[in-house]
Amino acid sequence: MDLPQGTLDLLILKAIALEPQHGWAISERIQQFSNNALRVNQGSLYPALHRLERKGWIKAEWDVSDNNRKAKYYELTAKGKRQLAEQTDAWRALTAAVGLLLDQT
Amino acid sequence: MLSDLLFRLRALVRGRRLDEEMADELRFHLEREIEKLVRSGMSRDEATRQARLAFGGIDQTKDACRDARGISFVETLLQDVRYGVRAMRRSPASAMATIVTIALSSAAIATVASLGYTLLWRPLTVDRPNEVVAITAAHGRANDGIAAYPVSYPDYVSFRDRTTTLAALAAHYPFAPLFVTANGTAREVNGAVVSANYFSLLGIEPEQGRFFHADEDRVPDRDRVAVIGHDFWRTWLNASPTAIGSSLTVNGVPFTIIGIAPASVPMLTPVRVNIYIPTMMLRVGYRWCDALNDNTCNTLQMVGRLAPDRTLEDANTEFAAILPAKWKSAPIGQNRGVLVRRPRGMSEDDDEPRFVAILAGAAIVLWIVCCINLAGLLTAQSSARAPEFAIRVSLGAGRIRIIRQVVTESLLLATIGGIGGVLVSRGFIAVLARMFFSTDDEGHVLFYDFSPTTWIVVATVAAALAAGLIFSVIPALNAVNRANVTAATRTASGRWSTTRWLLGAQAAAAVAMIGTAALLYGSARMILAGRHYDTSHVALMRLRPRLLKYTPERAQRFQHDVIRRLAALPSVESASLVGVGAVLGGGTATLNTHMRVRYNEIGPAYFATLRAPLVAGREFDERDTLQSPRVAIVNETLASRLAPASQALGAAVTIDGTTYRVVGVVADVTPQARNHEPEPWAYTPFWQNAGEIDSRLAVRVSGDPATALPALAREVHAVDPDVPIAETITLPTQMEGLTRPIRVGAVFVGYAAALATMLTAVGLYGALASAVARRTKEIGIRLALGARRQQVVGAIVRDGVLLVTVGSMVGMLLARAASRAVVHLLYGSPAGDWMLFAAAALAVVTVGVVASLLPARRAAAVEPISALRQE
Repeated sequence: MDLPQGTLDLLILKAIALEPQHGWAISERIQQFSNNALRVNQGSLYPALHRLERKGWIKAEWDVSDNNRKAKYYELTAKGKRQLAEQTDAWRALTAAVGLLLDQT
Repeated sequence: MLSDLLFRLRALVRGRRLDEEMADELRFHLEREIEKLVRSGMSRDEATRQARLAFGGIDQTKDACRDARGISFVETLLQDVRYGVRAMRRSPASAMATIVTIALSSAAIATVASLGYTLLWRPLTVDRPNEVVAITAAHGRANDGIAAYPVSYPDYVSFRDRTTTLAALAAHYPFAPLFVTANGTAREVNGAVVSANYFSLLGIEPEQGRFFHADEDRVPDRDRVAVIGHDFWRTWLNASPTAIGSSLTVNGVPFTIIGIAPASVPMLTPVRVNIYIPTMMLRVGYRWCDALNDNTCNTLQMVGRLAPDRTLEDANTEFAAILPAKWKSAPIGQNRGVLVRRPRGMSEDDDEPRFVAILAGAAIVLWIVCCINLAGLLTAQSSARAPEFAIRVSLGAGRIRIIRQVVTESLLLATIGGIGGVLVSRGFIAVLARMFFSTDDEGHVLFYDFSPTTWIVVATVAAALAAGLIFSVIPALNAVNRANVTAATRTASGRWSTTRWLLGAQAAAAVAMIGTAALLYGSARMILAGRHYDTSHVALMRLRPRLLKYTPERAQRFQHDVIRRLAALPSVESASLVGVGAVLGGGTATLNTHMRVRYNEIGPAYFATLRAPLVAGREFDERDTLQSPRVAIVNETLASRLAPASQALGAAVTIDGTTYRVVGVVADVTPQARNHEPEPWAYTPFWQNAGEIDSRLAVRVSGDPATALPALAREVHAVDPDVPIAETITLPTQMEGLTRPIRVGAVFVGYAAALATMLTAVGLYGALASAVARRTKEIGIRLALGARRQQVVGAIVRDGVLLVTVGSMVGMLLARAASRAVVHLLYGSPAGDWMLFAAAALAVVTVGVVASLLPARRAAAVEPISALRQE
């Protein structure tokens, strides 16, 4: 299933909310947590990461990965945490509203 | 906001490092993906393949990341520049050719810009130059553009005392011939007579001493004070610290030096001023009429400074309203109007803008030829690079990205070429300045400031960049259109026809410019060795006993003796003199109450000295004196207007009120530009005008006239050691000074023509060479099928030569059109023009044949077997 427009940023923020992750792990997480329903194309994942980094919502650091290789880890900044909260609320409100509308008989 | 900025900055500064990090990151991702697939039971190879497929284009992702980072423009620019430098290293020859081509053509643009700016537009180097205005009188209908005439002292005073739009109005006569005796040397130098407010108006501070007090410029002939120029102080007085207060003699009058002007004094004319004296001493600086009282004695130029909040328009309106009374009823040909304008440039004649326009035209044509040539070169190059582009496109690089890369490469070369052009133009300017702008037709040393300005450098580099854009965009589009693998491996055949007409156009431009340069060169030669005179071996001198207030009787005796002594010298073939203007020039007079004719007063053997043939009658000789009957000589044009030519001899003519009998008819001597009708000339004997004092000598010697001059001057001083001698130059030098536009034009257009011809040859060679390379297989097949080598060579040569021939034909028509544009610079009959153009066309076709023979020989050398094996 393709991602709805504009949701990728929210998913990335959520995927690294608990602990810093590298790009591959982020795409894996999104796939796992959605029970393989959502797939993130690398061609949009990495530009999105760079864009978020530029906005100052996430920051990147090189670290050693679990298989002893150097990898770039992304984590939320304070600004990013606020954004995650705001966007989660906005998303819930939106889906609730859309759900209400669709439940009408 | 700040973090965003820092991020961009970091990205910009550490672009390469970030690129590497990005590559690492993406590689890490791919490897994890492969590991995952291997763990799920796939073979390693299959896993790698699957992972890569899923990943998509790495280049595109990188580009998208760069865009996301927001600094992609600068960064990709830098990357393109790196690619560009790499491409240059790969083919240094073609990069060098491109740079040299751009440098040489943009040097032409920079040269014209510098010349034009200095001649027409460079402002005075004064404080607040926008306030400074020059005021000149007009002779024609008000403001008809020709307004460059001086005014008399009374008229200057009238303007000065009535103007309110100007804060100050100064007068100056910057061409005063001053015969100076100082420090044991006596020589004529150029000086200026200036009003006391001249220096303060222009904001000049004295280097030493002081300038004139207002009181020193109030009473005629009283205050004999002088300011000397910096160079005069150094060369004449050896920079003596006691110069202030010492005295020198100017035109026989002792002056006290009160100040020294700085070396950086603003130049209102190209002739340097050595000595300044106040306007109240004008009668020392100007001896030909009473310059202080006579309001027809026009010698002074006016320069003013606008009052605060006043504009040029205000001043023009005001000056038109405060004309001296006499001007309002003056006929056309006398001071009757006025023009206030900003002093711009060093131009001294009205044809100068046209002259600069002609040079600019040649530079622009050359620039276009250069663009065409480079487009051809780059097209050939980009077709050679088509596989490279195809591979990059297939790896996922965007088409815009490729176009941008090609354009960036070209712009890189163009920038280097443009800067090179500016540097080369400095050399051109130095050569032109030394050849043509160092002395005038009177032998004065000239100073032109041709130093470059920022805008000239910027404009030159901009022109080079524009060329870079134009010549790269079309080939870049071409490259992309062919940048897919199948197209790259196929031979392109249609493109040859698109460059075809461009090559023809180059040939046409080359022929037109060669033709024009040849016409100009021919005219310059024509003026030195005219149809009816010969300037070689003629030395000139100007004798002005009037500067020392000689009486007419004394002066006439002196001039007689000089001519007699000079003619007696063994090295002298003949010696003569003229009374009005230059030796081949003169003034105007009214003939028989109605006809305006050109006029001069000449000595005996004048026409023999110039080698001008007499058609009928005789020259003047020593028998034509004040006591003998008045006689005149007319030229053929005047003779034909007087009567049937056979009856002109012996006819009586009235010249400015005096009646003369025509004793000789001479050929039309003075050269005429093609756009002018031959002028009627009348000559009367110098010896029959009792009022003549000064003269210009023309002496034909057997050897080199320049080396003969010192001996000739010694002979003059043997007659009278006090008489000032000036303009000791040769007649060819004088004529060269008078014909500067023709000679500069000939050299400049000649340069453009040579370069255009060379570019045509290179372009043709390149196009044919790449055509041969492309068609090697075809040629091989044809040879294998039994075609003769001559046929193959013929086909190649025919292609090129036909092209150049058609272009050259068009070029002859263009040359004809160009000759109309420069007709005012052309001398001699136009009858031979077509032959000249045909010769130019033949020259370009010959060059074209040679340029196409080399590729043709390569085609002929194709071995069918190896050609076919190539595929």
